[in-house]
Amino acid sequence: MSLVLTRIDNRLIHGQVLEAWVPHIGADCIVVANDEVARVSFQKTLMAAAVPKGIKVLIDSVENVARAFHSHALDASKVLLLFASSGDAVKAHRCGVDFKELNLGNMHGGEGKVRYSCTIALDPADVLNFQQLEADGVRIVCQCVPPDRERSWKHLLHSVEG
Amino acid sequence: MIGLVIATHSNLAQELINAAEMIIGPARNVKAVCIRKEDSVETIRSGVIEAIATVGGDGEGVVVMTDMFGGTPANISLSLLEPKKIEVLTGVNLPMVLKFFNSQEGLSLFELAAMLKAYGQQSISLASEFLQN
Repeated sequence: MSLVLTRIDNRLIHGQVLEAWVPHIGADCIVVANDEVARVSFQKTLMAAAVPKGIKVLIDSVENVARAFHSHALDASKVLLLFASSGDAVKAHRCGVDFKELNLGNMHGGEGKVRYSCTIALDPADVLNFQQLEADGVRIVCQCVPPDRERSWKHLLHSVEG
Repeated sequence: MIGLVIATHSNLAQELINAAEMIIGPARNVKAVCIRKEDSVETIRSGVIEAIATVGGDGEGVVVMTDMFGGTPANISLSLLEPKKIEVLTGVNLPMVLKFFNSQEGLSLFELAAMLKAYGQQSISLASEFLQN
C-alpha cells in the first residue's frame, strides 16, 4: 500500500483535506482512524458523505484500521490517513501502522495546551508522543495546506521557547 | 489559464475568496467585484469589465460567478456574456469556488462552467435526509 500522507488533524475530514491535500497528493482513499467517530454512526455517515465519489473511505477505530492495513485490503490504494490526536498516531504506530512521516495539520487549543502556531497547540503529552515517534524513526513536520512551507515540528517548539 | 471573477452584493465576493484561501492556500487569477448601495450601474459595469480584463489577460476565457440570478451583479454580468470568452454562473457557493481552482486543466471554458454548475448544485445537502436512507 502506498501511504501518501499521514496527518494529525483534529477536524479529520474537512475542507483543507478534501480540497487541498487530496488533489495535491493524488490520494484515492481516505482512512480515518478514530474510535469516537467510528462509534457514532450518524457522524460517520455524514463524514463519509462529504468525500467525493470515486474516493474510497474507511472510517474505523484505530485498532480496526491497523487490522485493515495488515490484511492488505488497501494494498492497491493511495491512502491519506487521518488521526485526530497524537495519542492515536502513537497507538496506530504501535499497532504496526508503518508511517515514516507525520504531518501536523490542525491541532487546536484547549485546556492545558500551549499555542505554537496559528493552527498548532500542544500539551506535554503531545510533545512526549512526538518524541517517541521520532525516536522510532518518524519524521514529523508541520504543513497546514500544500502551499505552506514544510517545517520541522522542533522548529515550532524552538520558535516559542526562543 | 481561465480566470475567475466573483461579483456580488456587498463583500460576499471578497469573503468567498478569503474563505477559499483559508482552505486551499493562495489563489491565483481571481478578482472580486463587491457592489455597494451607492454604486451606479456604470460604476459596477466598469468594475466588472476591468476585473474580467485583469484575470482574462491570456485569452483563455473568464468565468464570472454572481450571487443571485436577477440581482444587479448577475444582470450586469449577463450583459457581458460572450460564449467561449465569458461565461456567467449565478448562485455562487464556496464549493463551486474551490472546485474552480482544483479543476481547470484540460477543460474548455464552457466545459468548466458547466461542470461547476453541476458541482455547485450537488454540493447542497439536507442533513436529515441522511437519516432516512
